[in-house]
Amino acid sequence: MADQQPTPADTEDERNTAAKSAEDRKAASALANLDSSASSSSAAPAAAVDHEAVTKAMKNLGGLGSGSGTRRNVKVDPADVALLVDQLDMTRPRATEFLKSHDGDAVTAMRAYVTA
Amino acid sequence: MPQPLNSKEQALFRLVVRSYEDKQYKKGVKTADQILKKFPKHGDTMAMKALILNAQGRTEEAFALGKEALTADMKSHVCWHVYGLLYRAAKNFEEASKAYKFALKLEPESAQIQRDLAVLQVQMRDYPGYIQSRRAMLQARPQIRQNWTALSIAYHLDGNLTEAEKVLSAYEGTLKQTPSRLDLEHSESVMYKNSLIAEQGDYQRALDHLEDAAKYNLDRLAVMEARAEYLQKLGKNEEAAKAYRALLDRNPDHQAYYEKLTQALGISDDDVKARKAIYDEYAAKFPRCDAARRLPLDFLSGDDFEEAAESYLTLMLNKGVPSTFANLKHLYSDDFKKEVLPELAENYLESQGADASSKDKGEAAALYFLAQHYNYRLSRDLDQADEYVNKAIEKDPKSVDYNMTKARILKHRGDIKKAAEAMDYARTLDLRDRYINSKAAKYHLRNNDNDKALKTVGLFTRADTVGGPLVDLLDMQCVWFLTEDGEAYARRGNIGLALKRLQAVANIFDVWQEDQFDFHTFSLRKGQIRAYVDMIRWEDHIRDHPFYSRAALAAIEIYLDLAAKPAENGVNGEDTDEALAKKKAAKKAKKEQQRLEREAAEKQAKQDPNKASSSQTDEVKKKDDDPLGLKLAATEDPLGDAVKLLAPLLQVCPKSLEAQHAGFEVYLLRGKYILALRCLRAAIEIDPSSPKVHEQTIAFRNALNHATDLPAKVLEVLKEEFKAIEPSEDLKKVNDAFQAKHKSSPPHQLAALRVQHILGEDKPRTNKEILALLELPEIEFAHALEALELLQKWRSSETETFRKAAIVKWPQVTRLE
Repeated sequence: MADQQPTPADTEDERNTAAKSAEDRKAASALANLDSSASSSSAAPAAAVDHEAVTKAMKNLGGLGSGSGTRRNVKVDPADVALLVDQLDMTRPRATEFLKSHDGDAVTAMRAYVTA
Repeated sequence: MPQPLNSKEQALFRLVVRSYEDKQYKKGVKTADQILKKFPKHGDTMAMKALILNAQGRTEEAFALGKEALTADMKSHVCWHVYGLLYRAAKNFEEASKAYKFALKLEPESAQIQRDLAVLQVQMRDYPGYIQSRRAMLQARPQIRQNWTALSIAYHLDGNLTEAEKVLSAYEGTLKQTPSRLDLEHSESVMYKNSLIAEQGDYQRALDHLEDAAKYNLDRLAVMEARAEYLQKLGKNEEAAKAYRALLDRNPDHQAYYEKLTQALGISDDDVKARKAIYDEYAAKFPRCDAARRLPLDFLSGDDFEEAAESYLTLMLNKGVPSTFANLKHLYSDDFKKEVLPELAENYLESQGADASSKDKGEAAALYFLAQHYNYRLSRDLDQADEYVNKAIEKDPKSVDYNMTKARILKHRGDIKKAAEAMDYARTLDLRDRYINSKAAKYHLRNNDNDKALKTVGLFTRADTVGGPLVDLLDMQCVWFLTEDGEAYARRGNIGLALKRLQAVANIFDVWQEDQFDFHTFSLRKGQIRAYVDMIRWEDHIRDHPFYSRAALAAIEIYLDLAAKPAENGVNGEDTDEALAKKKAAKKAKKEQQRLEREAAEKQAKQDPNKASSSQTDEVKKKDDDPLGLKLAATEDPLGDAVKLLAPLLQVCPKSLEAQHAGFEVYLLRGKYILALRCLRAAIEIDPSSPKVHEQTIAFRNALNHATDLPAKVLEVLKEEFKAIEPSEDLKKVNDAFQAKHKSSPPHQLAALRVQHILGEDKPRTNKEILALLELPEIEFAHALEALELLQKWRSSETETFRKAAIVKWPQVTRLE
């Protein structure tokens, strides 16, 4: 059923290049054609590719996804977060992050911000 | 799960999608309604209808319907995708990304949703997320080269160079045969990989790779430049020198090649003779080359300089090159060269007497050079400049260049009105020259004549644009005009239009940032990856362009005035005049708006009825509901608006003194003491002797002394980090000491006077001292204008006295009037 579903994404590019004048429209249609020719020609290079080699290459890439740095868990007082949001014009997530990087101490955090 | 439909409705649904794609919105809505009649709770149809409504500019309805679609069908990836697209169109990328992710969870196989998400992530610079998306896309279609390249770029942008290189190599390893030499995508990819290796600092490997894989690369210049650079980095000087010579043979006007060649030949900076010899060699080899003759002037000194400058100047003046002065004025930072150059020009002038018939060569060129010399900031003597330019004009009364310089001299005298007239005269000498046209328009704006300016530039804008030249200038993103127009309106006190124009500039920068969206997919498709990566890096600091800071600072100043006004009105009751004037202005503006609307309506009626209907959808979207900026000027939260312009400015140009000063003022007024302190400290770091630093330091201490109920932690921070003035000090005394110390400097005196105002010193003293400013030997009319502005702002009784005294001193300065 997937192929019966609408494909709003396809139209997205066209909307970006919102056609204003006839010239723009021409350019937009040329752009769209580029897309289709590129995707149709993508079959050609595919033939030049060794499928086995591709699978192997993919496998080699496989193990690299994981491994984000470990983050220390610091407790943060919501009142301090609110203080930073108010005083430093920060978003809440950023304020939390910033506090955490200063061991949850609002005063050191703000002092660091002033001198940064 | 999307709800199933009958086959008839399915067909209709596909029609809705197609209508949307073909931008036949009316038809789309109609068809969607047809389905909804039968299945009123069909989520996907509602979602599609919402998308179409949004495209028609009915954003609020679209969001409401989109939400309704979601409640009807929580499990449909279409509904979530559309919801994401709606947010994306409203530039709420955070929410859009969430919606896309949810849609993807429901339908992990959808390539479109995955692609939309990836593009959004790179736009938001969420590189880890982008890597993840790109990996998924690669997994789905590993046989397409684009997908490999894209993953490599993702790693590269995230700073993981080795991984980026590995991905490219992995793909290359899968190729059965080397692609043809004419394969542009492959050629780019090879050079991209090479730059990745070099960026890791492994130049030997980069060189080997270059000589092996890029031997027949299509981008010859890039290969040659990279090779020369690697050889030099590896210390292979002889080969590097050869490589740079090869490059110079291609392009002898590229300054960097000369410098690198000098380095590669092991010539030290002090060995001026040897350096000059290299340039001479190429000057002889390429008789038409300018760089080889001009560049030695940068490092030569004494007699050597005089000799070289004389031959260069003679050559240029003989030819009558109009840009001679512009090519040389950077040398004026050196006092010796500043003295020598005009001397040489005068000698040349004397030698010319015999053959003086030419209108733009020889004598005339020398006169023009000297006129510009005496008009230049570092060597200004406007009377002399006048003399020379008049002589030049005598030789050729119809020269655009000479007349333009005359207008410039007038501008520097402060006589803006005459300057504008002179520039406009220069324009009439060559009506087809766009440069002089723009220049004339700019001078009209400096003269606060917005209408004339618009009419002037209008001669060169597209004639058939609906809405006239201004709309065309907006479409063409003509930043200089918008900025100057805004500043002119600001000087005239038309806050609405001033903000309108300045905000338009800020919006153009938003558009430039938004424009990236198209390139995330386009560049990959075309395989132009090196240019793409450059663009991404450039976009990251796009707002450090002086055009942005100039417009932003001007707008912030207006917002600061707006924020300060109500408070001042409350203090003293003498605002009845002001209020009356304001009312009058508002009335006038309203009339103007009505007139514009009427005109627009008439135009619409006049138009061909058939044609009008087709373009109507476009027009509805484009219509500006605040053409005069009244809403902008009536803002409830001027400081909040100011912060929106300020925040990017502080982020990308923290080294700008003006930005830090403006930041301090905004944050102090908002009561954000820590942020104000941050700006103040940054300003002290940049220039501790700036008069504004003194003013703001005292203002800050004064504000802290009067501030109540600050949170304890904030107080602690302020106590620790602000020690420039202790709380116990007498601020008036500090200010008096500063004033005495900088007795002869007008900017410092003005700062001290502003502090007096802040501290509430008695007005007669301040007034007296402001009048005394005019007696300072160093004062220039720009300072007087600043002082006058201050007096007007304070509604001082001495304003007129000051103005009259200043006019006596500078009768020609138009802005004093």
